[in-house]
Amino acid sequence: MKPITEAANRLDFEDKITGAARYCADIRMEGMLFAKTLRATVARAWIRAIHIPPLPSGMAVIDWRDIPGKNAVPIVTDDQPFLAENCVNYVGEPILLAVGPDRAETASFIRQIVVEYEERKPILTLEEAMGRDGDFISGNQPWFASYGYDKGDLEGAMRRAARCVADTFTTGYQEQAYLEPQGMVASFEDGVITVRGSMQCPYYIVDALKNALGWETDRIRVIQLPTGGGFGGKEEYPSIPAVHAALAAIKTGKPVQLVFDRKEDILCTTKRHPSQITIKSYLDAEGNILARDIDVAADGGAYAGLSSVVLQRMIYSIGGVYRVENLRIHGRVYATNKAVSGAFRGFGGPQAFFAMETHMEHIARQTGMDSVQLRQRHFLRQEDSTSTGGHLRSPVPLHEMTDLALRLSDYYRKREQPNTDSGKLRGIGCSVFFHGCGFTGSGEQDLIRPRVRLRKDVDGIVHVLASSAEIGQGAMTTLSKIVARTLSIPLSQVRYEYPDTKVCPDSGPTVASRSVLVVGKLLLQAGLEMKKRWSEKAFETEARFTYPKGFSWDKENHQGDAYLEYSWGANVVEVELDPVTCDYKIKGVWAVYDAGTPIDKKIVAGQVEGGMAQGLGYGGMENLEYADGKPVQVSFTDYILPTSLDLPPVTFRLVDNESVLGPYGARGLGELTLVGAAPALAAAIENATGRPVNRLPLTPEYLLEVMNGG
Amino acid sequence: MAVAVYPRNLAEALRILEIQSPLVLAGGTDLMVKRAGTYPDECPVMYIGNLPELRQISRQGEELRVGAACTFTELLASPLLPDYLRVPLAQIASPAIRNAATIGGNLCNASPAADALPMLYALDAHFILVSAAGECRMPVRDFFLGPGKTMLAAGQLLAEIRIPIREGWRCIYRKVGMRRANSLSKLSFYALSDCAGGRLQDIRIAFGAVAPTVVRSREAEMKILSGLPVEEIILMYNGLIKPIDDARSSSRYRREACIRLLKQYLQS
Repeated sequence: MKPITEAANRLDFEDKITGAARYCADIRMEGMLFAKTLRATVARAWIRAIHIPPLPSGMAVIDWRDIPGKNAVPIVTDDQPFLAENCVNYVGEPILLAVGPDRAETASFIRQIVVEYEERKPILTLEEAMGRDGDFISGNQPWFASYGYDKGDLEGAMRRAARCVADTFTTGYQEQAYLEPQGMVASFEDGVITVRGSMQCPYYIVDALKNALGWETDRIRVIQLPTGGGFGGKEEYPSIPAVHAALAAIKTGKPVQLVFDRKEDILCTTKRHPSQITIKSYLDAEGNILARDIDVAADGGAYAGLSSVVLQRMIYSIGGVYRVENLRIHGRVYATNKAVSGAFRGFGGPQAFFAMETHMEHIARQTGMDSVQLRQRHFLRQEDSTSTGGHLRSPVPLHEMTDLALRLSDYYRKREQPNTDSGKLRGIGCSVFFHGCGFTGSGEQDLIRPRVRLRKDVDGIVHVLASSAEIGQGAMTTLSKIVARTLSIPLSQVRYEYPDTKVCPDSGPTVASRSVLVVGKLLLQAGLEMKKRWSEKAFETEARFTYPKGFSWDKENHQGDAYLEYSWGANVVEVELDPVTCDYKIKGVWAVYDAGTPIDKKIVAGQVEGGMAQGLGYGGMENLEYADGKPVQVSFTDYILPTSLDLPPVTFRLVDNESVLGPYGARGLGELTLVGAAPALAAAIENATGRPVNRLPLTPEYLLEVMNGG
Repeated sequence: MAVAVYPRNLAEALRILEIQSPLVLAGGTDLMVKRAGTYPDECPVMYIGNLPELRQISRQGEELRVGAACTFTELLASPLLPDYLRVPLAQIASPAIRNAATIGGNLCNASPAADALPMLYALDAHFILVSAAGECRMPVRDFFLGPGKTMLAAGQLLAEIRIPIREGWRCIYRKVGMRRANSLSKLSFYALSDCAGGRLQDIRIAFGAVAPTVVRSREAEMKILSGLPVEEIILMYNGLIKPIDDARSSSRYRREACIRLLKQYLQS
């Protein structure tokens, strides 16, 4: 048998390549109606009246009064309505829907509706939110969540310190920019609501429908359709259009399709949290980092959403890959009158690692040290305790990985001779980082309790029953490969359909770099059970998650094992910058990852290239600003994603470091590939320009300010 | 649903234009994106991309004549095109867009960021505008009035672009876009110089995307030729450049990058 790592033909590719795959917008059903959403045009207001013209025949309007259950999106808290009742809190907030047999007519009807607003003073920036002392968006304070934890003795270390290096970093929005916009089709038959669409988390949608309809699970069915990318943008958000389409289908008795256009999608869906991070490092006379005092603030948008969980990952990642015994870490996520910030590949990690890695560069610059050596002196090692006092049980190959990345890129030679003769400035920089795999803390056990089933048919075909969604990342193939390997059967004997909650148990959401590590491991366990009983004709096996022995997590005090597993990475980026325009080209990208055993080499390579492109986009050209409470870049003409010409081939290596917990030694990779790109880019630009940078994205506009000493 | 009209020749197209006032579509790379919600559905669409009279590239003496419906790919493939025209065109959008987009469409769309424009200003190109009543010749600088606004009258088509050719021109072109391909310009800088006999004979400088239309000043160019100090030349251009803040860049960046590019050019 070939090693599991050898590339397999992806199970989802034939349909996608031949065009046979039917995405949400391709679906046509008899009598199907098209839905269009009326959205708030002001950032914060009371709704005083809504003037709706007489309804043409065949059309219907759905508003909050059509919600039989709770008008609240069930995420962490329930502050966000599915449809606005008497107030709106961001431009783009859904107020009502119109449905009709003709899409253009429905859209035109929506344009004729007039909403009378009584505007309130909005909170439009993080700074405004931080300075607010009243008239809050949510509750009695300007934030949704506020956390803090300590390690060691900060005060004592401060007294011993010879110097302090302080930095404040800011990062901007990032749009997930999946190729397929949000879309759902709902149909209502025999008392059962069925919602199909573009999604990462079918069971989140089940929960949302239960909440909105007040129905039991047996009347709710959610099926994933082929999905054109998610990147976190289809984690929690799709619950909203899914409920909208369902309400319309129930009210009209007809199938209803709700598909966003791109502008609408960018306007109203979740984006990466902007942040402001202050780090103060206290050093002794030899340049050892004794202590750090860190303050994280994130812009959560109008409703709480997943912000508290994103903030947790930010504050558990902000310590970086360094062993610093004395820490005070504090974080808050604030409410602003903008679209809700939410899940996005990396989930708080990219902001944290940009800040910490750039701060390490600044410490080295200010103390005259080599920034790589400064890092190496403080690298975490096996058996160390993490910032939250978690135990690093497995080898932590940071030295090996960093050395390899530096060697591949010829780092030191390039670093010391940054200038070229052409009048351009060359620079090279590195980053070292991790990504904690799976849900934070004991979330897998407390919140998800994932389970999977395998079903063997009489013909020997094995069906994988899990709710993990194929969103282009290769989940269908990697998970099927794990099953095939465990049962010692060819991959062609394994079937993995797009998840349907009527037949698939809840194996948890397709997020948090957990699919291979957690769901893959459960499938391996169900497979081992099946293998024992293989001689039986047709049967099912099941596996349920159990929290591994020896791990512990204290959620209240942020103490213990923040993650089940850690994946590690080292990146190097080289740039060539034109000092006249401050425009730059990325000349080289090198990456070393430890994600355990790769389940499929080719899928891993795809994740590496995609994550790197998305991470460099985040660091460089993906600029999304708000003006007057509205996003400015609402098309792909203005919101710029890297193309193949902007990204040189990525040279990458994987180190051999099998995971103890994961299936066949694998751990999470999907997010890891994004988080190290922006800080390596920033370090390269600092090396080229000789000047420190403090914010993302690193646009030529910002770099011109930097070069002018601004 | 819109009605599509396919004239077989220019005369037929001009008749249709006079009677039906259709929306004119050549390559469609801007129009197809813009159309939804911008133009009434009732408005017929006339396709001129295959009119034989608009698809010629020829040289008449010292003048290059380019049919308005030639695509950028066709222009780049023509041996008649000198390098100083080829350089900016090769950086427009991407191969797929260049295969469909026409030079006439790029010009009539009248975006301040149109990449074919600065070179035509610098070269004193003329446009041939035709209508059922006849044709007229118009200098490029008179044609453009502002973003999306041209002198093209109802019933008129841009038929041909006439570009004076000169052997000694050497060009410098810098498009500052948002990425390497498929990107609109934040600003662009196009300069021509003729140094025949080792002496600067003539110079042309044009800036794109930093004012409602292309910035070019013959007066400033004459001052450069007369040897006015670089600082004073820069002051002159600084007064002519009137960039805006938009989704793609800031006025501050556009102005400063232009001045820096100009300074680098003048000092080299």
